[in-house]
Amino acid sequence: MRDDCDVLIVGAGPSGAVAAQEFARAGMRVTCLEQGDWPDYEKARAGHADFELTSRKYWNWDPNQRRAAGDYPIDDTESDITALMYNGVGGGTVLYAAHWERFLPSDFRTRTMDGVGDDWPIGYWDLEPYYDEVERQFAVSGLEGDPALPPTTPPPLPPVPLNKLGRRGAEALNKLGWHWWPGSNAIATADYGPLHACAQRTACPFGCPTGAKASADRTHWRALAKDQVRLTVRATVEQVLLDDRGRATGVTYLDADGVRHEIRAGVVVLCANAIGTTRILLASADGTGVANSSGLVGRRLMMHPFGNAIGIFDEDLESWRGPLGQYLHSLEFYESDRSRGFVRGAKWNLLPSGAPLSFMLPGTWGDEPVWGANFTRLLRERHGHSAIWGVICEDLPDPANRVLLDEQAAADGVPGVRIQYRTSDNSRAMMAWHLERLSEVLDAMGAKKKIFNPNLRGTGWHLMGTAVMGEDPDASVVDPHGRCHDVPNLYVFDGSVFPTSSGVNPTATIAANALRCARSLVAHRRDVEVPA
Amino acid sequence: MTTARKGEDRGTTVPPDARARLGQVADAMIESGAGLPSGAQAGVHTGLLDQVVKTRPDLVAPLLRALDELGPDPGLAAVERLAERRPELYEALALVVAGGYLMSSRVTAPLKYRFAEIKIVDPRDIAVVVEEGLLDAVAERTPFYRLPPDAPPEHRP
Repeated sequence: MRDDCDVLIVGAGPSGAVAAQEFARAGMRVTCLEQGDWPDYEKARAGHADFELTSRKYWNWDPNQRRAAGDYPIDDTESDITALMYNGVGGGTVLYAAHWERFLPSDFRTRTMDGVGDDWPIGYWDLEPYYDEVERQFAVSGLEGDPALPPTTPPPLPPVPLNKLGRRGAEALNKLGWHWWPGSNAIATADYGPLHACAQRTACPFGCPTGAKASADRTHWRALAKDQVRLTVRATVEQVLLDDRGRATGVTYLDADGVRHEIRAGVVVLCANAIGTTRILLASADGTGVANSSGLVGRRLMMHPFGNAIGIFDEDLESWRGPLGQYLHSLEFYESDRSRGFVRGAKWNLLPSGAPLSFMLPGTWGDEPVWGANFTRLLRERHGHSAIWGVICEDLPDPANRVLLDEQAAADGVPGVRIQYRTSDNSRAMMAWHLERLSEVLDAMGAKKKIFNPNLRGTGWHLMGTAVMGEDPDASVVDPHGRCHDVPNLYVFDGSVFPTSSGVNPTATIAANALRCARSLVAHRRDVEVPA
Repeated sequence: MTTARKGEDRGTTVPPDARARLGQVADAMIESGAGLPSGAQAGVHTGLLDQVVKTRPDLVAPLLRALDELGPDPGLAAVERLAERRPELYEALALVVAGGYLMSSRVTAPLKYRFAEIKIVDPRDIAVVVEEGLLDAVAERTPFYRLPPDAPPEHRP
């Protein structure tokens, strides 16, 4: 079976959505193959008694646990962090907490400014207009004027409320003289396009039943798939096909019944996240790989070491309610200061604790035994009375941290992957230092108990770096516009192309960079070498 | 032993002897206190279990194996041994007991956990914050992000 299109996108996450919209607006014939399915919001059960039990299965962040259509095996036994993702329409935005953060100017120049990592081939101000555009596409709510960032265009919606908990955090940071700013989130605070105003059900990463969270299935794909883009779900791409001259001619994929198809395209754009894109590149050419003359495909995996500091308070702060985006963030200690014993920095964000099962199962809420007589006491103590400060540490690129194919874990004939990842000494020192500062914040907030979790394992939401962009074909996989150095009509637009990770949530930058690259491709489409 | 009776589907059915055993374990894992019922008083092994099974039929098989593994005295010590020896079964047991318990209105009501209540955000909230001056000290700070040496001239102070 054959088919034809101008552009074939693999992956319907945020980068694929933004690119598909841009290509369609330019009048191109666009097909998108997504290996998962549409999210089933019948399973978005916030507001019902079975919410947490349902979400732990259906909205599970770990594909090895969720095992839904499109999920493939990821062996993480050699990794300090579990890689998390949502394989389905909307991609990572279906499970993200919607914290919407721009990278800072120094994030693009870590080599020049701090002697670590690599400079990006673009800078903050190259991305700035694209940040502005995608913030409107993703209904971002926030407040302009943050002194930690360059001046920005006001986001389209005002920020989420601080509620009691956010106020408590803001007052504490004011006491300490440390930075905070109302949270920037891809969460609608008023009806906006297809989205509705947030109903504060702390469900953001577990299926938003309100339709307030800006996931790409809602913001982009529902409209695009009607008549602008041919979106095929449950289509697992096996490999990119090349012609004799080394140009991409299309891909082969397996449908839900395991039937193989070939689809031809003038241009192929991979938007399958830093693990899925690597999987396709390495599996192509019947397993010898494509676009890998640099040897860097799959290497430099970055996942953001993540930790938290939990505070428990005497007062009822109604912490079961709220958006599970961020009330506020602090970038007080984001920029480098080598006197701290590490280089680069971290972002803090303040969250409500949410629904109770998450803090009553043993694991990340300290060493106190939960069962027996303690259960009801701890439930009373924590429920509504808890705050969580998240810490995202910048993860510097290391070629030894990588994604590999795992032929032994093949799913329907398509290889699984294994990841090798070790948290660096720099990240560990950074995390320890930041948790010490957050201990001071919790004291200033009046916490009666403090719990610290450095380097949590199940937190690999941010997948970056495995097809790095750069000018030099020997030191990068794609050029500054996402085009593979080795295959002139094969592109990568997702977080794989990031040379460094920053210390903030990456979706805003993934979307902005995808828009920048898509617009460049449209502008230069007559120059793109396509197969005969 | 809590094996399924002949003809019963061990995949989705929890037989009466297993329910009774679950009630014992639930009372050991969640004792009554702080104005809240015990696991069995809340109905972890009865009506709540039916709701858990309906929501998560995949938990039934590991739950039955967990109950088997607990041995003749299914108290807290046995639960701790299970956590060490068979963490995947322990995890299923913990989910059924705690997850079921927290579905009970006898628990959520005294906690004032009004999970069904919606509270639409008020977009005017930030105006109040600004008016109160909560942001003043931060907003008045000099920008403190670092400028790269190649930042465009128009973005330099």
